[in-house]
Amino acid sequence: MSALAPKKTKVKLAVDLGGLPMHNPVTTASGTFAAGKEYADFVDVAALGAVTTKGVSLNGWEGNASPRIAETPSGMLNSIGLQNPGVQHLVDRELPWLAAQGAQAIVNVSGHSFEEYVAVIEALEAGAAAGTAPVGAYEINVSCPNVDAGGMTMGCHGPSVEKVVSACRAATERPLIVKLTPNVTDITEIARAAESAGADAISLINTLLGMAIDARRRRPLLARVVGGLSGPAVKPVALRCVWECHNAVKLPLLGMGGIVTGTDAVEFMLAGATAVAVGTANFMDPCATVHVIDGIIDYCEEQRVSDVNDLIGALKC
Amino acid sequence: MPVNEKAPVLLNMELGCGLWLMTLRSPIIARAVEPGQFVHMLISGMPDHILRRPFSVYAVDVDKGLLEILYQVVGVGTDHMTTLAQGAECELIGPIGRGWQPFEDTSRALLVGGGVGAAPLFMLAERLVAAGVDVDVVLGARTRAALSTLDHYKMLLAGAEGCTRDKPRTITDDGSSGRKGLCTVLVEEALAEAAEKEAPYDYAAVCGPEPLMRAVASLTATADVPCEVSLEKRMACGVGACLSCVVETIHGKRRACVDGPVFMADEVVWA
Ligand SMILES: Cc1cc2nc3c(=O)[nH]c(=O)nc-3n(C[C@H](O)[C@H](O)[C@H](O)COP(=O)(O)OP(=O)(O)OC[C@H]3O[C@@H](n4cnc5c(N)ncnc54)[C@H](O)[C@@H]3O)c2cc1C
Ligand SMILES: Cc1cc2nc3c(=O)[nH]c(=O)nc-3n(C[C@H](O)[C@H](O)[C@H](O)COP(=O)(O)O)c2cc1C
Ligand code: FES
Repeated sequence: MSALAPKKTKVKLAVDLGGLPMHNPVTTASGTFAAGKEYADFVDVAALGAVTTKGVSLNGWEGNASPRIAETPSGMLNSIGLQNPGVQHLVDRELPWLAAQGAQAIVNVSGHSFEEYVAVIEALEAGAAAGTAPVGAYEINVSCPNVDAGGMTMGCHGPSVEKVVSACRAATERPLIVKLTPNVTDITEIARAAESAGADAISLINTLLGMAIDARRRRPLLARVVGGLSGPAVKPVALRCVWECHNAVKLPLLGMGGIVTGTDAVEFMLAGATAVAVGTANFMDPCATVHVIDGIIDYCEEQRVSDVNDLIGALKC
Repeated sequence: MPVNEKAPVLLNMELGCGLWLMTLRSPIIARAVEPGQFVHMLISGMPDHILRRPFSVYAVDVDKGLLEILYQVVGVGTDHMTTLAQGAECELIGPIGRGWQPFEDTSRALLVGGGVGAAPLFMLAERLVAAGVDVDVVLGARTRAALSTLDHYKMLLAGAEGCTRDKPRTITDDGSSGRKGLCTVLVEEALAEAAEKEAPYDYAAVCGPEPLMRAVASLTATADVPCEVSLEKRMACGVGACLSCVVETIHGKRRACVDGPVFMADEVVWA
C-alpha cells in the first residue's frame, strides 16, 4: 500500500498564509504529526499544504511524567510537556528529510524565555541559510498549557506576547505565525498584541486546559493532573475563537481544534480561517490530513466553489 | 511498514472470566506480523471515544488472511467490543512495533504469561518450537476458567519434539488449576530446576501485569538469563509521532509503540 494523495480536482486550492504559499489550505497541528516521517507510510506528506513540526526548544526537553494522555468524551487530554530533542536535531535530520520529500515545513517554536525563542529561530535560520534545512514559516507557540515557564503563561499576557513576537520578528524575515491559547478572557486582545508586534498570521487554538479523574481510585488520570483538551470536543470553542479574531485583526488565520472532516475544515474557513490544521484526528485516522483535503474538494465541487479563497470569512450572519 | 487496513469481524466469542476472542479478516497485517507486534484498533460504533485501542496479535492464519485478538474486558472500549458481531468493520493499523527478539542461538526459553499476557507470547512459542528450541511455558491467572490459552499451549507443546516438558506449568490465585499462588513462584522453581540440572535458560520473555514483569525481570537477572518484557502504555497515535507512550529506559525515554512494546528487561527503568 502506498501513501495516500488527495484526489485530482479543478478547484483552486492554493492559499497564501501571511506570505507562506500553500498549495492547499491543510497543514498538520504541531505535536500530532512529529516531523512527518512517522506518517509517511500513510500519506504523501508533500501533498499537504505544509507540515507543521512538533514544538522545538533550544537544547531539548524531557517532557512530563506518564501517564501523559487520557481519553475524554469526544476528545483527549494530553500533557506531553513539549518533549523534544532540541533544535539541532530538527535542523540536521528532520527538515532535510521533509525537504527531500518535497514537503514544506512550518516550524513550531517554543521556549522558556524570550531569549530561548530567539535562539531557536537563529539556529533554524542558520540551517535554512545553509540550504539543507528549509523553513517555510515559523509558528511561535506562546500557548502550551503543559509547561511551567514560557508557553501559556506567556500567551495569556498581551505585553509578553508583544515582547516575544517583536524579538522573533527581529530574528527572521520569514512568515511568522503566532499560536494562541483559548485559555484567556479575551483572545482578541492577544491577537491584537501579536498583530501590532509584527506577526504575519495567527494560529488558533492550542488546547483547552482540563483534567480528568478516576473516581474509584480517587486519582487524576494524568500524572501532571491537568492537561490540554483537543479533538472534536473543542471544535465549537475553536470556531468561536477564529470568528472573534477574524473580526478583530486583519491578519490571516490558521484555524484548528477538532477538525476531522472536510466539512469541519470548511466551517473554519467560513469563520475566517485562511488555512487549517489537522491534529488529534491523525490519531483516529492516520490518513486524516488527506481525507480532509478530499472533503474540502468534495464540498467545493458540490457547492460550485471554484476557488477555496472564496470561502474565507464567507459566513453569512 | 505498517498499514491501515479495514478489518471485518468474523467471530467474537466469550471464553469466560471477561476474556474474549475476536477473529478479524486482515490479510496484509496477518501476513506481515511478527511475534509480539500489535495492532492499533479503531473499534467500530463508538465515535465519541476517539482513541484507538492497542492489542497484541494472538494468532494468525496467513492463508485465510485472519488474525486473532484475545482481549480482557476492562473498560468502555473492550466492553463495546463484546457487542460486535460478524459484519462489524474495525480498522487496524499494523503490524506495529518491535516484537520479541530471541537470539539466533537460543536453545532453552522460558516464557511467562500472566493473565491475558499469555496472548502475545503464543506466536513466539510457535516460532521457537518450530525452530527446535526447548520451550518452557509458565501460565498464571486468577482462576482455572481464566486460563483460556492453556489448551492452545498444551497442543503446541504436546507435539513439540524439542521440548523437555510437554505442557505448560500453571498456577492460579485460587488453586483451581495447577498450583495456588503467583506466577513468580513457578518462575523461581523453573530457574532453580534449570540450575540444578545444569540446563540453564538462555532466553526469557514475560508479559502480564507490571509487578509480575518487574519481579520476573529481577529473578532472571539474578539467574543471569537475558529477559524481554512487553510493556503496556496508553497510546494515541500508535505510530511514534505523539510521544504519549514513553517508557523510561537506561538510554532515556523511548516510545512503547515503535521502540517497543518489547524491551530488554534490564534496559527498563521500573517506576
Ligand atoms: C502494546 C499493547 C498490547 C496490548 N495487548 C492486549 C491484548 O492482547 N489483550 C488485551 O486484553 N489487552 C491488551 N492491551 C491492553 C489494552 O490496550 C487495554 O486493555 C485497552 O486499551 C482498554 O481499553 P478500554 O476502552 O476497555 O479501557 P478504558 O480504561 O475505558 O480506556 C481508556 C483509555 O485508556 C487506554 N488504556 C486503558 N488500559 C490500558 C492498558 N492496559 N494499556 C494501554 N492503554 C490502556 C485505552 O486504550 C483508552 O485510550 C495491550 C496494550 C498495549 C499497549
Ligand atoms: C499530543 C499532542 C501534542 C501537542 N503538541 C503541541 C506542540 O508541541 N506545540 C503546539 O503548539 N501545539 C501542540 N499541540 C496542540 C495542537 O497543535 C492543536 O493546537 C490542538 O490539539 C487542537 O487541535 P486538534 O483538536 O485538531 O488536535 C499538541 C496537541 C496534542 C494532542
Ligand atoms: S502512541 Fe504516539 S508515540 Fe507512541
